[in-house]
Amino acid sequence: MTSLLDQQRVFRASLLAETCPQALLAAGRTPVEARFAIYANAYRGRMVAALRDNYPVLAAALGDEAFANLGVDYLRAHPSRHPSIRWFGDALYDFVTREPQALPHPALADLIRMEWAVRHAFDAADCAISDLEELAAYPPDHWPSLRFAVHPSVSLLTLEWLIEPLWHQLQANPDTESEAPERSPHALLVWRQGLAVQFRSLSAPEAKLLDALGAGETLGFACEHAFPSQLADTAAQDVLHTLSALIQQGVLILQGE
Amino acid sequence: MNHALHGFGLGLRVEHYRDFLETRPAVDWLEVISENYMVPGGKPLHYLDAIRRDYPMVMHGVSLSIGSTDPLDRGYLAALKALASRVDPAWISDHLCWTGVDHQNLHDLLPMPYTEAALRHLTERIDQVQDHLGRQILLENVSSYVAFANDELPEWDFLSELAQRADCLLLLDVNNVYVSSVNHGFDPRRFIDRLPGDRVRQIHLAGHEDHGDYLVDTHDHPVCNAVWDLYAYAVERLGQVPTMIERDDNIPALPELLAELDQARAIASRAVSTKVAA
Repeated sequence: MTSLLDQQRVFRASLLAETCPQALLAAGRTPVEARFAIYANAYRGRMVAALRDNYPVLAAALGDEAFANLGVDYLRAHPSRHPSIRWFGDALYDFVTREPQALPHPALADLIRMEWAVRHAFDAADCAISDLEELAAYPPDHWPSLRFAVHPSVSLLTLEWLIEPLWHQLQANPDTESEAPERSPHALLVWRQGLAVQFRSLSAPEAKLLDALGAGETLGFACEHAFPSQLADTAAQDVLHTLSALIQQGVLILQGE
Repeated sequence: MNHALHGFGLGLRVEHYRDFLETRPAVDWLEVISENYMVPGGKPLHYLDAIRRDYPMVMHGVSLSIGSTDPLDRGYLAALKALASRVDPAWISDHLCWTGVDHQNLHDLLPMPYTEAALRHLTERIDQVQDHLGRQILLENVSSYVAFANDELPEWDFLSELAQRADCLLLLDVNNVYVSSVNHGFDPRRFIDRLPGDRVRQIHLAGHEDHGDYLVDTHDHPVCNAVWDLYAYAVERLGQVPTMIERDDNIPALPELLAELDQARAIASRAVSTKVAA
């Protein structure tokens, strides 16, 4: 007698191979092959749709057919292991890094990272944010020893390509003909402010400052790391400007000394 | 905890968040897909909390995989329980199915063989889930396209026996009964006749796709006449069970679903008078 485990394994293997497990199934009044095929077709369709939900701009950039092909190849290499379909596609960047020919242009790998960061920011944990008055409450000579946390929605990406124009263009109109992005290494900050997902590019010192503070370093250390060669006055202004913006936008959260 | 729920509900969908908040339509309760809110934060939980303030809710999951031979996913159960303490639902339901094996999730509601071995397997697992959650769960009959060669019982007897043994409750999906009855060639009324009426706590109504030889459960169409008729029959047999329209794709503007829900109200009220008259 076949055990339930064996039955489920045969059912799954047949579904993936798109062949009908005749011996396992009752004949029925209509051909069983057509009815079993419903499961195989639905599986592919559902998983590609879930991937599209997570990567809508990539889907628009590739077009339906190429995106579905990528989805099916990815599904074969990375079947879902999470109870919720929400996380399907978490290894897409790894996949295209290993299989660069899966994408028609290398900039799309950066787009994948950006879209996954956007998806993360959308439903990342909530967190009380700080305001500038909290910062101002500390006497200036205490500032170097202040520490910050980054909001749980934050991703700081180092990108090779300028993909933001493509993102805006395809978000506005998924059917538009888009131009290939330019190569232009930069840092991209993605986060959620209130309920709205935001992104913006950061200058190299801004990214360094955020990176160091996010790693738990003090503001004093982070400043030396981010603005090492500047004259003291200019550096202080730049730090204040950068820090204020990051606090007001809900990216950095003051933790105290 | 509020375990009493009456009347007519809808599945809460993102497309209707603002309608529920701004116009407070006359819906008695809402069903939320548990997994959509088993996330750390952001919009989904924000809207869930806001809408929950105005509407009673039930939670409906798709990933319990109660029939799988993989061990129960303790992380999933913990997250489900945490969501339940946030939502305080009248009840929690999922499907009588398996969604994957060997830790590979196919994210589909796959059919069980209707055997004594499957009954034992399911009973033990439902016990564990109900223990973990500290409450009875509702299990829903799924649409199926194939049956197993080693089936020992018809689906309705399997479902009744399971509910009895595991002491769980049932969510009757009338559309799924109809879809499976066409696909397997059984009388859908017989299915409803054989259910333990006192355990059926919720009814789903939905649409499907007609492929000629068989029907596919798609939840992207309005409820069809044959399903309305079967619903009337179910109400005659089971009385007024909390009922909702389930639409997952081609989601129309809310007024269209509210009109469909009014149709359910009218049919149920006629069917109940038939029952009383009989």
